[in-house]
Amino acid sequence: MPIHTIYTLAKDDAEARSWLAFFRRHGYPALAGLAIERVFWLEGDISVERLLPLLVNPLYQTAAKRSQLDPAQGPIVEIAYRPAVTDPETPSILAGARALGEDGLELARLSKRYQFAGLDETEARRLAARFLYNKVVERVREPGELVATLRPTGSPDPVGTVSLLGLSDDELDGLSRERSWYAPLSQMKAIQAHERAQGRPHTDAEIEILAQSWSDHCFHTTWKSLGLLKRLAAATARINHPLVVSSFKDNAGGIEFYEDWVVTIKGETHNFPSSIAPFGGVATKHGGVIRDTLGFGKGAYPIGGTTIMATLDPRLSDDEVPPGALHPQLIVSESIRATAYYCNPMGIPMMHPVYRAHPGYAKCLALGHSIGLIPRKHALKDAPRPGDLALLIGGETGRDGIHGATASSTGMTGETLEKESAAVQIGHPITERRFTSAIPVLRDAGCLRALTDLGAGGISCAVGEMGAETGVAISLDAVPLKDQSLTAWEILLSESQERMLLVVSPEKLAEARSILDRYEVGATVLGKFTASRRFEATWKGRKAVDLELEFLWHGCPLDAIDTAEPQRRLRPLEIPEPQTPEDWSRSFHGVLSHYHCADQSAAGSRFDTTVQGRTAIGPYSGKNHRMPTNLYVSAPLYGKSCGVVTTVAVNPFYGEIDPAQMARLMIVEALTKAVVAGVDYRDCVLCDNFYTPRVRPEIAWDLKRMVETVADFSEAIGVPFISGKDSSSGTFEAPGPAGQPPRRIDVPPTLAVAVLGRVPDTRKIVTKEFKRAGNKLLVVGAMDPATPEAPALAGSVYADVHGQRGDRLFDPGDAVSIRSVWDALLSLHRGAIYVSGSAIAEGGIALRLFEAAYGSGLGAHVDAARADVAWASHSLRSGQASPAVAGASRSYPSSSISRRVRGQACPERSERDARTTAAGTAALLFGEFIGAALIEVAPEVDVEESLGGVRHCVLGEVTPEPQLALADSGDMLWREAVSSLTESWSRTFREVLE
Amino acid sequence: MSAATTAILYAPGTNCHEETGAALAAAGGKSDLVLLHDLMQGSTDLARYQAAVIPGGFSYGDHLGAGRIFATLLVARLRDQLVEFLAAGKPLLGICNGFQVLADAGILPGRAPGHRSMALLENQSARFEDRQVRLSVASGKSLWTKGLEGQILRMPTAHGEGRPLFCPGVQSVSSDPSMPAEGARVVLRYADEEGRPTMRHPDNPNGAPDAVAGIMDESGLVLGLMPHPERASLSAHYSQDGLKLFRNLTCWLACEA
Repeated sequence: MPIHTIYTLAKDDAEARSWLAFFRRHGYPALAGLAIERVFWLEGDISVERLLPLLVNPLYQTAAKRSQLDPAQGPIVEIAYRPAVTDPETPSILAGARALGEDGLELARLSKRYQFAGLDETEARRLAARFLYNKVVERVREPGELVATLRPTGSPDPVGTVSLLGLSDDELDGLSRERSWYAPLSQMKAIQAHERAQGRPHTDAEIEILAQSWSDHCFHTTWKSLGLLKRLAAATARINHPLVVSSFKDNAGGIEFYEDWVVTIKGETHNFPSSIAPFGGVATKHGGVIRDTLGFGKGAYPIGGTTIMATLDPRLSDDEVPPGALHPQLIVSESIRATAYYCNPMGIPMMHPVYRAHPGYAKCLALGHSIGLIPRKHALKDAPRPGDLALLIGGETGRDGIHGATASSTGMTGETLEKESAAVQIGHPITERRFTSAIPVLRDAGCLRALTDLGAGGISCAVGEMGAETGVAISLDAVPLKDQSLTAWEILLSESQERMLLVVSPEKLAEARSILDRYEVGATVLGKFTASRRFEATWKGRKAVDLELEFLWHGCPLDAIDTAEPQRRLRPLEIPEPQTPEDWSRSFHGVLSHYHCADQSAAGSRFDTTVQGRTAIGPYSGKNHRMPTNLYVSAPLYGKSCGVVTTVAVNPFYGEIDPAQMARLMIVEALTKAVVAGVDYRDCVLCDNFYTPRVRPEIAWDLKRMVETVADFSEAIGVPFISGKDSSSGTFEAPGPAGQPPRRIDVPPTLAVAVLGRVPDTRKIVTKEFKRAGNKLLVVGAMDPATPEAPALAGSVYADVHGQRGDRLFDPGDAVSIRSVWDALLSLHRGAIYVSGSAIAEGGIALRLFEAAYGSGLGAHVDAARADVAWASHSLRSGQASPAVAGASRSYPSSSISRRVRGQACPERSERDARTTAAGTAALLFGEFIGAALIEVAPEVDVEESLGGVRHCVLGEVTPEPQLALADSGDMLWREAVSSLTESWSRTFREVLE
Repeated sequence: MSAATTAILYAPGTNCHEETGAALAAAGGKSDLVLLHDLMQGSTDLARYQAAVIPGGFSYGDHLGAGRIFATLLVARLRDQLVEFLAAGKPLLGICNGFQVLADAGILPGRAPGHRSMALLENQSARFEDRQVRLSVASGKSLWTKGLEGQILRMPTAHGEGRPLFCPGVQSVSSDPSMPAEGARVVLRYADEEGRPTMRHPDNPNGAPDAVAGIMDESGLVLGLMPHPERASLSAHYSQDGLKLFRNLTCWLACEA
């Protein structure tokens, strides 16, 4: 069949302009101009003219039969999918052509020609290889290359067998690495023993399945060896929370909402692929966690998501980035592009876009959450029965994402970038969007017994899990391929995105198919569930897999892991205290412009926050919609006022000082953010995402303490975890200088906590921005401004600004005292006593004062002495009886809080010397009093009544003039206009992206 | 059928159809979600509906251009139904991707299916822009904006391609709401804090010339706009200004019926 080509150019190409700017920033300042020409390759007996309206809009594009680029203007690199791989646009083009009556079109493919003015051929190709294509599925078309047909071609290898008999330990280890199985020796020996027992060598497919099913990513070997995997689930079971519908067993966790609906939450990390190919890795991070929602029960509908990225500091110079790691600035900007590319077409509102930096994240943290909505009666799966059909729906299966599970379970080295690029998947949101619409229809029509997503391990994992209790037999010939050269084990392990596995009873198949047709979702029957207790797969007339499920799911040996207490090299804070107005100004600008506190809306505004019409409060709000809310409120049932609330907490600094206490503080921070808005913590549940370095005795010690602390604490406050995920591979090995051993870079022990809560009326939520000049500002909760060592500054942004960390984290007291603060806030909220409020976290009270002023156009006046006097009088009144005091002194005898109260009695406290005052004042403003909240009340309101014994202090008041003013006993220490502070606050992140 | 029903047309990739139905319901209207696939299969027919809305999203992944495939199918496979629908003087609203579809199909500004006279180009920033904007209503001559002339409406925008380009044939957009027959009539403009049409980003999120956010056809029955009135219609939303457009439809349908 003849092949026609059409070359199109945009007259005013904004895409080319932004790429040009991007490349100039990323190492190609010499690039003078960039043109992007799109080529359509059309095979068949057709009239090209008739197709033009489909392919070209003459208003802004020009079209020609030959390239419109002048070769003299610079080298041209043409990028296309590999011959064996189909283009995502092909079905759209064929559909459009048929609509236009052009039935002669048999196949259409695309390529893009980039012309780089000012670069030479080699530079141009290097740039393209780095930024413009994924060599797993795409390639550079050489000029003058002849094309006989556009049909995807390629021939697969036959099923092979691998015998481990007679291999030495070293040989087993070598083979495991060479084949990218990354299976520890104990697993290789178990497979070897199994081969001996069954009397035949395993097929390559069988070993691949075992290796990935037993990988840390899928099997959580680290957590299992440490006895942690069931720890949180056990605590949740003991709490026995009345709202919990499903926890730690399904693809997500779910709680009762209202009106017989259930809301779900799941958080998924995609750290490895996002570190080596940020665009693909982050796009599929979202695609994957969204499928976890779709795969909950009999199919939940995704109503919100997050993106949380922690990297090295994007402002590092190139030579500060460890060899073999991508530049963090590239990871951040590519991740933002990827989140927009995937989440916006999915039509899922962004709830929390969060960006953090720490020198440990050479292997980045790429976390995404998804929350879902599902009718109560569909919230639990049915078990597949023998005879049920396994229906594969969604996209075709390709070469992308092979070995994702095993590769992501190992540490990352300088070479990983090269060797495992095949492990990175490619995402096409339109394919996922199709079944996102279809699944609720299938569910409500009663077509689904169960369903699950295809993620790590692809078909093998999904089929193996669904069939675990019965047995399953599938034919790989039925799998639709986008790459004809795939062999059996590749088809089984491919992590191609946008695929789901449905369990459908035979009598429902016809109805299911007709629904899937209406929504234009591809579907194939892979095979059926059996009673054989075996995983069987045939391909091209021969058995590719015949494994007993007992061995697959229970044959994995666990290596014991030693634990040893780490020796941390921590030093107490020594920060010179601000004395002059200039000192104070520098301190405020330093904290407000810190990466963690700065305005991140330059990223957030690229994500749709209001799609679905459910958003009551989005990530940004206030006067000009740039004030971060630290809160997302959805009203998921149209026309009803009940709402779903989410908050998140993640802090890379605290984990360096005390991982266990950090983990506890993250729970307190995330819950306090919800409570101060008016969400009852008894209506909240938690989702955990742990990210820790490759396990070794010290890491194991920390991990164990983190998980145990978190489990005990959640039980103590009665707020359960209902889902979560652990990643134990947060280590990057940079090749050392010649002869030197590699340099190991560990992520700081990290726990991201997300809160999922419900409220009866979204309109009663209290927001952060100030409401009225003259109102009083109070801090409610445990805090301790004037202790010399000021632990609330340890791990703070203020300390980081001074290049310090500190040696002991702030302690808000035990569960009893923390709950008493929440109860006090909730009773104030019920009485509508406070009109604005926010939880203290990174940046301390200072950041909250600024944000609330910025979001309202008002200002604040704070007097440190008033705060202190309030402390004194309050402590004299309620004294040691205050639960915060009692609790704190119980759990931490040397706690600053108890000493602070003793301090009240000491006479010398009354004549406070300047240094201590300054210490107290800096700690008061920048201390991160996790668990405390800043609230605004009308001047005449007396809060003593409702606050009873709960610690609180009056800070100052809201002022009409938009400035922040700081005084001590009436003496003005510093004042500055909000507008000038805004300069610093908004610059940081803009500069990172520009 | 008894009450006047509005068809909400959607296709794979459309993702604002459900909230558009919710907004219509809040305005007292009745609506059906109608799959383009079902219209093409003939299992339902546009003639059964008194009005239609094409909601936002990324129909068919915006392959080949925003709204291109949806528009091609509309014009090539459903031309007769479409022409009949327009000839019957029925209201048609395109929101965001729906506006891109109407433009690519030639229905806006010229009511000429298959003859494009405008396009919605990539935002000046070359980025998707999620913003909350103010719209000044330049004309109340469309049934959708009847009685709203001069008002400021607050609602979200969220799009990557919203910068209007009009072909030389079509008189380029002017601030004068009353325009010659072939002109593109401006109904909505992005406005600053004082309510004046603005080119300032992000008040004008895409760099639209003359701050154009929405236009109508000569009859005023067909309206296309980039912002999302359905996301500012319910009591939970930060603004209910979008509801005014849907109320205008339900009132009009009530009077016509």
